[in-house]
Amino acid sequence: MRIIIQYIGVLILSTTAFAQDYSSKLLVNGYLHVGNGDVMETAVVGIVDGKISFVKNANAYTIKPSAWDTIIQLEGRHIYPGFIAPNSTLGLTEIDAVRATRDFDEVGTYNPHIRSQIAFNVESKVISTVRTNGVLISQATPRGGSISGSSSVMRLHGWNWEDATILNNDGIHLNWPLSISSGGWWAEPEPKSSNKAYTSQKSALYDFFNLAKAYSKTTKNDKFDIRLEAMRACFNGNKRVYIHADELQQLVDVVDFVNYFDLEYPVIVGGYDAHNITRLLSDAKIPVMLLRPHSLPQNEEDDIDMSYKLPYLLQQGGVQFCIQNEGDMEVMNARNIPFLAGTAMAYGLTEEQAVQAISLSAAEILGIDKEYGSVEKGKSATLFVSDGNALDMRSNQLFMGLIDGVFIPVSNMQYDLFKKYTKKYN
Amino acid sequence: MQLINGCLHTIFNFTATSNDIRMKLSLLFAFLCCSISLFGQLKPQNGVIESEADFYALKHATIYVSPTKKLSNATILIKNNTIVKVGVLLKVPKNAVVIDCENKVILPSFIELYTNVGLPKVKAETWSSRPQYETSKEGAFYWNQAVHPEIDAAEHYVNNAKSTKPLMEKGFGFALSHQTDGIIRGQGALVSLGAEEAILDLENPSSYFSFEKGVSRQSYPSSLMGSIALMRQTLYDARWYASNHSKKNLSLEALNKLLSGNLYLKTRDKLDIIRAKKIADEFNLTFSYIGSGNEYEIVNELKDVKSTIVIPIDFPEAYDVKNPYVSRQIPLSDLKHWEMAPQNPSILLKNGIHIAISSENTKNKTVFWDNLRKAINHGLTIEQALNALTMSPAMAIGAEKQIGSLESGKLASFMVYDQDPFTTKGKVIESWSMGKRTVFERTNDAEIAGEYALTIADQQFSIKITGTPKKLKGELTYKTTTEGLLKDTTSPAIIELSDNDITIQFHIQKEGQKGSVNLRGKINTKFGVFEGSGFLPNGEWVKWAAVKSKKSKTIKPSKKSNSEIDSTNYAWLPNMAYGFERLPTTETIVIKNATIWTNEDQGIIDNGLIIIKKGKISFVGDMSHRPPALARVIDAKGKHVTSGIIDEHSHIAISKGVNESGQAISAEVSIAHVVNPDDINIYRQLSGGVTAAQLLHGSANPIGGQSALIKLKWGHSAEEMLIDQAPKFIKFALGENVKQSNWGINSGRFPQTRMGVEQIYYDGFIRAMAYANEWKAFKSGKITSPPRTDLELEVLTEILNSDRFISCHSYVQSEINMLMHVADSMGFTINTFTHILEGYKVADKMKAHGAGGSTFSDWWAYKYEVNDAIPYNASVMHEQGIVVAINSDDAEMGRRLNQEAAKSVKYGGMSEEDAWKLVTLNPAKLLHLDQRMGSVKVGKDADIVIWSHNPLSVLAKVNYTIIDGVVLFDHQKDIELRKRNLAERARIISKMLDKNKAGNPSRTFVKKKKGHYHCDTIGEELSTEENHH
Repeated sequence: MRIIIQYIGVLILSTTAFAQDYSSKLLVNGYLHVGNGDVMETAVVGIVDGKISFVKNANAYTIKPSAWDTIIQLEGRHIYPGFIAPNSTLGLTEIDAVRATRDFDEVGTYNPHIRSQIAFNVESKVISTVRTNGVLISQATPRGGSISGSSSVMRLHGWNWEDATILNNDGIHLNWPLSISSGGWWAEPEPKSSNKAYTSQKSALYDFFNLAKAYSKTTKNDKFDIRLEAMRACFNGNKRVYIHADELQQLVDVVDFVNYFDLEYPVIVGGYDAHNITRLLSDAKIPVMLLRPHSLPQNEEDDIDMSYKLPYLLQQGGVQFCIQNEGDMEVMNARNIPFLAGTAMAYGLTEEQAVQAISLSAAEILGIDKEYGSVEKGKSATLFVSDGNALDMRSNQLFMGLIDGVFIPVSNMQYDLFKKYTKKYN
Repeated sequence: MQLINGCLHTIFNFTATSNDIRMKLSLLFAFLCCSISLFGQLKPQNGVIESEADFYALKHATIYVSPTKKLSNATILIKNNTIVKVGVLLKVPKNAVVIDCENKVILPSFIELYTNVGLPKVKAETWSSRPQYETSKEGAFYWNQAVHPEIDAAEHYVNNAKSTKPLMEKGFGFALSHQTDGIIRGQGALVSLGAEEAILDLENPSSYFSFEKGVSRQSYPSSLMGSIALMRQTLYDARWYASNHSKKNLSLEALNKLLSGNLYLKTRDKLDIIRAKKIADEFNLTFSYIGSGNEYEIVNELKDVKSTIVIPIDFPEAYDVKNPYVSRQIPLSDLKHWEMAPQNPSILLKNGIHIAISSENTKNKTVFWDNLRKAINHGLTIEQALNALTMSPAMAIGAEKQIGSLESGKLASFMVYDQDPFTTKGKVIESWSMGKRTVFERTNDAEIAGEYALTIADQQFSIKITGTPKKLKGELTYKTTTEGLLKDTTSPAIIELSDNDITIQFHIQKEGQKGSVNLRGKINTKFGVFEGSGFLPNGEWVKWAAVKSKKSKTIKPSKKSNSEIDSTNYAWLPNMAYGFERLPTTETIVIKNATIWTNEDQGIIDNGLIIIKKGKISFVGDMSHRPPALARVIDAKGKHVTSGIIDEHSHIAISKGVNESGQAISAEVSIAHVVNPDDINIYRQLSGGVTAAQLLHGSANPIGGQSALIKLKWGHSAEEMLIDQAPKFIKFALGENVKQSNWGINSGRFPQTRMGVEQIYYDGFIRAMAYANEWKAFKSGKITSPPRTDLELEVLTEILNSDRFISCHSYVQSEINMLMHVADSMGFTINTFTHILEGYKVADKMKAHGAGGSTFSDWWAYKYEVNDAIPYNASVMHEQGIVVAINSDDAEMGRRLNQEAAKSVKYGGMSEEDAWKLVTLNPAKLLHLDQRMGSVKVGKDADIVIWSHNPLSVLAKVNYTIIDGVVLFDHQKDIELRKRNLAERARIISKMLDKNKAGNPSRTFVKKKKGHYHCDTIGEELSTEENHH
């Protein structure tokens, strides 16, 4: 891989260690995709102590080499903000089929107290392969139950989970009851049917939230309840409520629910049918983390490109959204998030809207946009440089990447195996 | 066919001689026999013999003598169990018991061909978590528990009213009952339902087959293709057993007897008929079919089926569609089937297909008759309906001389209806079963309803009676004086009728009389008069009488026809969203100004021209060539044109099971037997530029099943999709799936380790060699008796002879090398390692062996054995000179294999042209189809895709997909089809809403979660679980 070799040549950087570093860096002459929809064709990005100190047009900027520990000539390569993988079990599991490596689904119905942060494995080999495609931040998210637990936003590099945490306990994840239910076991699933228990399951959720809301009104509770403690911040705007729902009935009920509890930061996760109620969602200011655009249409007669074009439909409907990747083999597939955005671009979004859908919009929805999500002055230097368009499979070639100004390894165990066996044949 | 008792009767009559005494005795004897015969039992009598009348005559009835003959005011004359005569103005013998059937309708008893009436329920053995690999039925029976031809329904049949009544109320008097369980089910028994119990003797036995394993807990078969293979193997075994056996096998012995008779194959889907027909042809048998109700969808394919199809009329109820949030979830295919299902009988008949009608799955008589009338309203004539219930099934089983109509000499089995059930809500009120009468309901067809002048003592009332004799209501009107004014007062009256006795009760509020009036009396309907006695409120016992003053308005059956005008009377192809109304045909197509990725020496042609004629590519080159004048011209300016994508590893379009997991070697099963052309994923993948695919067996077994190589010809039949003279392929598999590592338990099936997998192969191939040698010896005359045909070893022999190629699911290098050693030592080659995620480690060895690789672009981390999988795999293998393909193994990814191919540019720096070949030319080579497909070359099949951009770009979308010169996907048509789908949905939903409003029964929507087959999906159902590939 010529790019990496060239890069290593320039920076004399070990591919695995990241101790050695420079406090000030200057990226020169890159094609900058800011992340907010803007581009700057010949950009200079200054980075000091992990922060972006300025972003300027190269044509109007004179470089003082002595002012910088290192200056990296990008020669027109593309600069992107670090992409974000929201709603992901990345770092919580290593091998899908090996139970011992699965740390994302706890026993229980209401588990807001379950915290994904502490199970996050910074040394996950999978993470190393995701990072090299430009995905630098994830939201480690538990699964299962009615409330799966609390997620945390993590940087995909660090010595330990404490180190890797960007935002701990950013929100709870609520799996909205299915309006259509199923049964049976996997080889003989019973047909799905209208869920008769839907109304009662919905009421149970209201009951729990009423309980939690009442509990949150005082800190001097007679009885300590670890679950309700974890819910407390949901009612004062310090914790988001991520509500996983796809079908129309669920979505309109979610809007009612949000209004009833006056939730400050609700987020819909999934939203297959959200394009039918864009007005309702935009009026209610509920953002959507859209389901994986590379998923099959859910009904026989749905448009064959339904999932591909959902980002465009929500964009047109004025709903704030970002793209996520939950589903089959989501952990290893997190590295394909750039191409999910690429597909959304093929089906309606502009290139910069597509970039935004996996950077700034995701950061805003997660509540980390003051620091992350775009390459702008004052923000964390969490970005990467690709030889070409990072949303296209052919040209997504990592040249370099930074997380909070620290170089990330540009290799991974897969690349090492590639090199090892290439040598075998030569 | 002969009746047990009828037969005996005749024999005994022959015993009469001329000797007086002996004559008397024998007459007595004959008399006794005669009586006995009516009981139908050869058993000693406890007490004196009770005789029956010599004749019965049912007079004044409307009689459907046969489907084509209907008589009014006719008489049917019966002696013993036989019809003497049917006719108008028939002379009735004096000694006949006469039954007046005025206003009643008589139909011959229907014949049910699919039922287990009177047979004990088969119970499954208790469930255990350990799979059962061997039969648990002890004795000299077949090795598989789902095969039990030895079961004879006659031995188990018990006639009891509780089980027969539901059928009889529907109008059935005969049933060919069998144990409705298993794949080869055994012999049916033709039974007469009702009072006169009898099992009738059929000249030819009737037996039943199906593709459903039933209650057997034996692991094999676990899939539809396994059921098909098992049926074929059993038939081969039976053939072989007929001439060669040392050990007795009761199952095969029974089967050989049954095969000369009538064979019924029960289907679960229209496609099963086509599947079974192939088996019938292979063994020179004829099946009749028990249909599933959607046969109209493939009526053109069924035209070759000459035998009877017994179709159910369990038409789907309308969905409850009042809630649009719910109704939008109903698949269009379900809606269309709801609309079309009642037309199934008439469409089949119009196309010359023989049908019989079964009441299977119609829950009761009301549903049965409602649906039958529904079919009549949708084009079936009464004559056809009756024929399908009587003569047609009678002829199918060869009993048409005895049953099926009411002609002289036939059995006196018929049903009496209170009115004509074909045109009104008539119901069975009595049945005659071989001369034996059972009355279900004594009707009182007295016309009670009307207005009566009621006189009680001297007082005058007027009473209005409404309702039917079973449920009457009355309203009493009388004069009262209030404040000097005379006025009418009304009060309700309770009226009850049993036989000719009427009871009337009401309250009155009259000067001097307050309280209850209770009357009882007789009716005389002829004159409309009631009379009797009763109490007044004051306790006075009085006489009363009522005279009809006004007839109630009788609601005459409206002349207006109920027949519904079918706005749709043909099925889309397939009958679902995106189905064609008319199949597109081969065109001469000119594609001009195109950027053509030839995959040939010419490389990429800028501004080129392609001409397609008769399904083949007839020209590729620059624009200077003169195109034919009469052609469809597609201007591909700015667009890219390629040959179609070929998916080396796909599991779409498969019916009922992708794995036959019951055995570690299942070479005998074939995906080609179970191709499902109605999978929406075919259309979706067409829209992604896929034109051909290898549909592979799953990876549950070291040696799986045979592949189907298809073209994605949406709208066409499974047969048409299968590629002509395609090379033969089989799936092998290694590693975690075959050793069931991710099952959580040790199932006990061999192998459970990679070590065992190796031995399975050696053992299998050594057995196959021995098998081949045995056949060789037989053919050269060294041995005289033919060896038993073994479908599994036949296929392994093909592999040994290099007549069949292998696609082997594989992950880690140890097992890959192992299999190459096995193959080398046996003298064959592994054609393709599929998945082959560690191929980069052993590319040199693969090259030396001659294997190709079909891999994933970037999958890993989903199971332990893919820990070392790397996305550079395709590039490394390619660099080492291996033919490399990238495949999907996934219905979703199958739609965008172009994107997956593009990843090889990223991982390992492959050139774009080489990357493109990963999904086109290279899979064609691996499938040995590259003479016909895989590049844009003159003479090759016109499987062409027109892309909006460079096909490797993330922006690329398919504009057209052409297969064999037929445009099967057109992005502009697709937009129209979406609109048409919505319009069709709206039209049918509004039709359903009308039914909802009319209060017709409706069902709540049940959404089938659409799963997909993965490599490791076990069983017939689609998996919705995580993918372990």
